[in-house]
Amino acid sequence: MESSVLEWLGVEIIGVMSPVSICMFLVVLLVYSLSSPSTTATTIATAANLVYAENPSDTAAQKLEGAVLNAVVFIVFIALATFLLVLLYYYNCTAFLLHYTRFSTFFVLAAMGGSILLSLLERFSVPLDAVTSFLLLFNFAVVGVLSVFAGGGLPILLRQCYTVCLGIIVAAWFTKLPEWTTWTVLVALALYDLVAVLAPGGPLKLLVELESSRNEELPALVYEARPTVNTRNHAAAVGFIVAGVSDSETSRIELQVVSRVNSNNNNNLSSNNDNGENGINDEWERSPLVGGMRFGEVVVDEGMSPLVEMSGVGENEEEGEGVRRKIGERGIKFGLGDFVFYSVLVGRAAMYDLMTVYACYLAIISGLGCTLILLSMCRKALPALPISIALGVLFYFLTRLLMEPFIVGTATNLMMF
Amino acid sequence: MEASQGNHPNPNPNPNRNNSVASSVPVWPTIDGPLGLSEEESVGYARRFYKFGFALLPLLWAVNCFYFWPALRHSHSFPRIRPYVVGSAIGFAVFATLLSSWALTFAIGGERLFGPVWDQLVMYNLADRLGLTGWS
Repeated sequence: MESSVLEWLGVEIIGVMSPVSICMFLVVLLVYSLSSPSTTATTIATAANLVYAENPSDTAAQKLEGAVLNAVVFIVFIALATFLLVLLYYYNCTAFLLHYTRFSTFFVLAAMGGSILLSLLERFSVPLDAVTSFLLLFNFAVVGVLSVFAGGGLPILLRQCYTVCLGIIVAAWFTKLPEWTTWTVLVALALYDLVAVLAPGGPLKLLVELESSRNEELPALVYEARPTVNTRNHAAAVGFIVAGVSDSETSRIELQVVSRVNSNNNNNLSSNNDNGENGINDEWERSPLVGGMRFGEVVVDEGMSPLVEMSGVGENEEEGEGVRRKIGERGIKFGLGDFVFYSVLVGRAAMYDLMTVYACYLAIISGLGCTLILLSMCRKALPALPISIALGVLFYFLTRLLMEPFIVGTATNLMMF
Repeated sequence: MEASQGNHPNPNPNPNRNNSVASSVPVWPTIDGPLGLSEEESVGYARRFYKFGFALLPLLWAVNCFYFWPALRHSHSFPRIRPYVVGSAIGFAVFATLLSSWALTFAIGGERLFGPVWDQLVMYNLADRLGLTGWS
């Protein structure tokens, strides 16, 4: 048993660590290249900071109180959106969920990705013309939606790349939250994920059970580390307990993206009266009406994302070496929210120092390893956020408050390095 | 195809070496090998993506070539898929040439070639006017 676990981990860890590492690395690159101290960062109002807009001049007590309130409101939104998702799925509104997920994917790639693209063009003064950039963005968004939801018609590698891209874009937007709010929201999300997945009656647990009882796949954004032939041949088997959980989480993440885009559009609308494009104006006029509901949905998405899933294949149970083959044949599935929140944590650390980035990265990867080990032992859906987020936050503050003064002091006095 | 599919227990198959028939003829039409589409499904998808590419989506042509690379690479295999993949390759090559020519002309020529219109067309100035840079 021990050797088989190690053998399985050796194969699976690479498949799981690689996309997470790539996602975090690219978010750190984005944060470093686009954040300039001279630019006064406009605080974008999102579902995560509805209650309290953080100001540098506030006292620590005010910041803490406001951040906690923000986190509580955010979690309530997520929980409401998750239960809404459960209800929709329960009453067989799968088509609606599928179309909504596709729309939110397109919106993330086109609107939020476009915003990041424009910032990069402006930062590096790339003389790209309007026609070319719109054409590239349109192709990128449409191919993204097709690759994530078109089933078997596109390469697996492309689907994986686009899933990572979605995570990067959403995480980059999340790094715009104020500092205290970011930390409280991350901790609150980890706790929420723990409750939603493991508690009886938790919304994610309900979704998993519903999906497994129906053998119908819930439309959602999921990163599948290593698809297998058997998984594809037995579509019914995909409706495992784990799959349902990750599905719901992924769709929630997308919702979050949508709400943020809406808030961004609102800001643009208020700051740009000269905009003459009727189409954009129409979208902006609509967004306030739908804003409330979407905020809730977005929150739900974010909260739901953290789940590491294993989808098993029944056939392999007949094998002589049933345990090893069974483990080896299973593909691990990640909800997209895991990518997002790991990257938000590292992105926030990147705004302080590279030392905290290294510490957080190692902590998150260690937490992921612990979750994988637990997964191989428990063999059921597990939340992926709690261990990694707890270790990441702990290591960040330890590095920032204890390790950095020590190293800087010794380096200054030539006692080290 | 399904009969030979059962002969590949390897979870990470290499599509170019899954041949149980000959050493140079690919068995699977897609780069995903047995995880991808069968030949029957591939024809429909290849045709669909080839046609979608004409709707200002040349990236789909590139994806078509990438996905059905075995059919493109081996000239005598999969005769029903190959016309669409070759068409996609030609279409993407033409489009990439045209677009990169225009983009490079715009970037290198600059204001000398296009006059004051260049300042209005360049994306970062346009983004400033439209107020689309709320993220940074």
